[in-house]
Amino acid sequence: MTIEDRGLAPMIATDAAPIPVSLRDVSKFFPGVVALRGVSLDLLAGEVHGLIGENGAGKSTLIKIIAGAHKPDEGEISLFGETLDTADPRAREKAGVGVIYQERAIVPELSASANVFLGRTINWGPFISSRATKRRFRELAGRLGADINPNTPAGSLSVANQQLLEIMRALQNDHRILILDEPTTALGAPERRNLYKIVDELRQQGLALIFISHDLDEVRSLCDRISVMHNGELVATAPVSNWTKQSMVAAMLGGAPLRSGIARNPPAEALALSVKELTIPGVVERVSFTVHKGEILGIAGLIGSGRTEILRAIAGADGRFDGEIEIEGRSKPWPATVPRALEYGIALAPEDRRRQGLVLGLSAADNVTLTDLGKASMAGIVTEKRRIDLAAQVMRGLAFNLSRLGMPAQTLSGGNQQKLVIGKWLFRDPKVLLLDEPTQGIDVGAKAEIFSVIADLANQGTAVVLVSSEFEEVLDLADRILVVGNGRALATLTRKDASIKRILDLLFAVEETA
Amino acid sequence: MNDIQPRWYQSRGLVPKSGWAPLLRRYGIVLAFLMLVIAVAIGSPSFLSLQNLLNIVVQWTPAGILAVGATFVILAGGFDLSAASGFALCTVVAAILATNGIPVSLSFLVAILVGVGIGIINAILIVALKINPFIATLASGFALAGAPFILVENPFIMVSEDGFDTLGTGHWLGIPYSGLVLLAFFVIGDVLLSRTPYGQSIYSIGGNPEASHLFGIRVGLVTASTYVVSGLSMGVAAIVSASQLSYSASEQDPALIFDVIVSVVVGGTSLAGGYGAMWRTAIGLATLATLQNGLNLLQVDSSSQYIVKGFIIIVALGFDVWMRSLAQSSERSARRPQSTAQPATYAKALSAAEEKT
Amino acid sequence: MTANHIESEAVAPRVRKQNPATLGKLVSGDFIYSYGIAIALAILVALVAIGDPSFLSLTNLINMLGQWAPAGIMAVAMTYVIIVRGFDLSIASGFSLCAIVAALAAAGGYSNGVAFAAALLTGLAIGVFNGALVAGFAINPFIATVGSGFILLGLDIILTPNAYITVDQSGFDSLGSGSWLGIPIKGFILIAFLLAGEFVLKRTRYGQYLYAVGGNPEAARLSGLHVRTLTGSTYLFLGFATGVAGLLAASQLASAQARMEPTIVFDVIAIVVLGGTSLAGGSGAIWRTAVGLAIIATISNGFTLLGLSPFYQSIVKGTVILLAVALEGWAQRVTTAKLAQRSAAEASVSGRETT
Repeated sequence: MTIEDRGLAPMIATDAAPIPVSLRDVSKFFPGVVALRGVSLDLLAGEVHGLIGENGAGKSTLIKIIAGAHKPDEGEISLFGETLDTADPRAREKAGVGVIYQERAIVPELSASANVFLGRTINWGPFISSRATKRRFRELAGRLGADINPNTPAGSLSVANQQLLEIMRALQNDHRILILDEPTTALGAPERRNLYKIVDELRQQGLALIFISHDLDEVRSLCDRISVMHNGELVATAPVSNWTKQSMVAAMLGGAPLRSGIARNPPAEALALSVKELTIPGVVERVSFTVHKGEILGIAGLIGSGRTEILRAIAGADGRFDGEIEIEGRSKPWPATVPRALEYGIALAPEDRRRQGLVLGLSAADNVTLTDLGKASMAGIVTEKRRIDLAAQVMRGLAFNLSRLGMPAQTLSGGNQQKLVIGKWLFRDPKVLLLDEPTQGIDVGAKAEIFSVIADLANQGTAVVLVSSEFEEVLDLADRILVVGNGRALATLTRKDASIKRILDLLFAVEETA
Repeated sequence: MNDIQPRWYQSRGLVPKSGWAPLLRRYGIVLAFLMLVIAVAIGSPSFLSLQNLLNIVVQWTPAGILAVGATFVILAGGFDLSAASGFALCTVVAAILATNGIPVSLSFLVAILVGVGIGIINAILIVALKINPFIATLASGFALAGAPFILVENPFIMVSEDGFDTLGTGHWLGIPYSGLVLLAFFVIGDVLLSRTPYGQSIYSIGGNPEASHLFGIRVGLVTASTYVVSGLSMGVAAIVSASQLSYSASEQDPALIFDVIVSVVVGGTSLAGGYGAMWRTAIGLATLATLQNGLNLLQVDSSSQYIVKGFIIIVALGFDVWMRSLAQSSERSARRPQSTAQPATYAKALSAAEEKT
Repeated sequence: MTANHIESEAVAPRVRKQNPATLGKLVSGDFIYSYGIAIALAILVALVAIGDPSFLSLTNLINMLGQWAPAGIMAVAMTYVIIVRGFDLSIASGFSLCAIVAALAAAGGYSNGVAFAAALLTGLAIGVFNGALVAGFAINPFIATVGSGFILLGLDIILTPNAYITVDQSGFDSLGSGSWLGIPIKGFILIAFLLAGEFVLKRTRYGQYLYAVGGNPEAARLSGLHVRTLTGSTYLFLGFATGVAGLLAASQLASAQARMEPTIVFDVIAIVVLGGTSLAGGSGAIWRTAVGLAIIATISNGFTLLGLSPFYQSIVKGTVILLAVALEGWAQRVTTAKLAQRSAAEASVSGRETT
């Protein structure tokens, strides 16, 4: 469905018709994270408003504030002209807000129909009316072209069907505002078409719809206006005709490129790591790549490309996989546990630094030295002083304020926490260091520091694999770039051939004129 | 289009998808129960006599009523370790009042209200103060265990007042009142759980507290109500038991709490919450009763019975864990930290919902 | 350089290591929370001493030390288990079982040494079993140990058909009733456990790993730690401690029976929890357990000296456990809120950073 097919222009709010959703300077903070920063946005009736941005950009937080699952820490939100003070999902529901969440909000043990009518059952007196429920279920399913048995436990349905259940749930009431957060990720083409049709119908009925998706084609074809978020801020809002896929991605990546300008030694001839035909069921198929000693290999891909899973698979975090691995030219069995991967010299700095990378209750120094505590101990007994000294040695190189070494990791800023995550692996001196989004959500200064550390590391002979949504930084640092998408390794670009345009072209398999 | 589905959109999938496993999980216990009944009946034909069966029902009524209450709590993802102590306290209350001139029905009513009060206290501890349900009910149970001795010097009270034992020993058309009370609890419990919005919200909270909260279910209130139901069951079980024995069972019989948990677990209700049913508890209770009867007939002494029961609970638990892990491996979802499999607490649900950015 | 204008923590000229104690440290007045229990202990002791000055007599204190040795020893090991987010409700039956095994062996003619060794081995076996259930099979520790507790209770009863097993063998009561320099040997063993326990936790690799495993098991795993082995080992330690406690009890009484101290599990939990060790795992210390032990011992002893009904004890102890847990949970939530505020403050100061 293209822009031209749509004859109707979105309605414009007038004094008589209050704006369905209005956010003014809304901010939301979590420990160590600024999820939203000063966001102002209006959603209009009869429009489909697209919201795009990378992981951590704040889209989900934003819609949760609209849906009443969170309360803004600053700023205000009003629905149809009335400012709201309490975050109560029930009340929002009554006010006409319907939501389809990105995370599966399914109760697996309940039946499909129970899930659709979660919290708002169709009753006959004090009892649930199973007849009326089934009838309504079939109605909703019919609209979407879904073929689901209402009695099956939702957990045993396919992912696509689960997603359909969530859509059915959102459609069952008369909402005036509808939020769709990644509603089509699991759906096949025919189901998507049905959904698009419904979205269009709802738009014509005058609903305000907000549509989040990482499928840029979908967003462009469906939405009237598109807003882009990056690092908790609303970067831009414009009618769809003002956007190209290029410009959307550029806005998602946040603007000014980071030139680190660090001198790099050319990577060695010798291979540090070679991966052949790695298959992760449901994620990637037969991915192969190599990394030389002293080389930085960037992996460029969007959400869903499997880049994190690839790193985790190599690092032994998710068990055994089909594929071959060679360390420094020697073939080895696939590392099925983290200790085994560490034996091989492969270390992973995971994506979620708070939940996977650090033990927040421990001090900075303790976190850093956790990976090789033997260095700070003799006969099993740890010498505190030595531990702190060793930690200081590592963290000094990361421009980390050493007086903070004694503080609980939980109290440090995102940038400092990220330095700890990298530091703990530097401490272990790996042969191959895998970095998953090492600069996500941290400020510019800290980013630059981390980049120079990565470059130094490579210069000293460590092989580095770098996954980042910020393609600019990947371009800047990497010697070669592996582009992954659609579950496959699409191409490997050398530093010379690589550019954002080239990467995007590969990812979207479309030639775009700027 | 992308034909490989992104994994992190998959549900927690507690239901195994592979062929025979779901059936085994759902109805295995029925089969096991029937086989057990047949085995015991062969070993002792009098087992199936009406008299014997009625005796079993009467004997197991207090445990059964407590099991009904426990089912509510466990389905919602919680746990109530204070049931035995609360039960004991309520029997003492009933006995004290009756032996001091209060009319029997009023004594019973007060005992029930005490049970409800205990339930309310537990609810406050767990929902308002956000204390882990195991610890909260362990501690409250401990505190309650001493209470009978504070109320009265000797809480082992024989009651000889008229009418006190009617409930426990009376019949209606040959069916003991105890049995009727038990039946009523099971039936009402089942109807509430399987046919009302309230019941569905309990399953919902047990299965996915975050989603339940997001869709407007009052997680705190519903969770609290399950503890109140548990408290109510303590009170009713107490009056039945006191009435049966004409004696207050203020000694904490460790086997009681155990029989209650085992009935629920053996029936197939998952201790993690969200999966199970009242009929399962009924079968679990019947299975346990049959097993005990059978062991008695085989003249296995009670201490060995403890061992058997201990193994049963571990096997039942292991089975539950195994079923759930089957489901997880068949989905190979993005490796979430293997939780310590603690039942979701209200506090956790809220904080999990708040944490997701 | 990182612009980090908000520095609410004092900057020490040397790096001073903060204990990985509970996150309650960040609560304003965190000093009061962390060391508040010591203050509470002092107040409690003062109250009891005022009520009955003989409380503070050397005889009484030494008695208490000996009396609470078994519970205290188990509490040290229970602290380890709780640090890794575990729990063990089977210790009451396990404790009895180890005592029974020691008594049976001695009454059966085996030497005292063999009897004691048997008790320790029994404890270790229990530890292996519980560890396998929780760490190996990932069964919820509360339920698993309720189950194992029942199995052990059954064994206890089977092994004691005559209710009591009495031991006449000379020397059997040496450990349990003996003294050295006026202090019960049990007391020395308790002190040894306390000191060694704290040392291992704070100063060895193993101990530090335990904090990591309890603090964030997934991050620990991804850091290369053997999480399951580490978790299981704490149950092994607790089993061993149960063995020691059981044999001391049997030795002291020169007898054993099936339900020796059914409420000991509450005492042990109360000891650990009152000390401020968080049930959420990842923090705690043996010095805390020691303070908790002193508090519980004072309460119990105080009740006896002041002539209060022992049954009030269960209510008091139960309430006290609840208060401690609720308080700790509240402190954690306040910490989280404060950190969120910190993010807010940082954000407003550093302003927009990307163009």
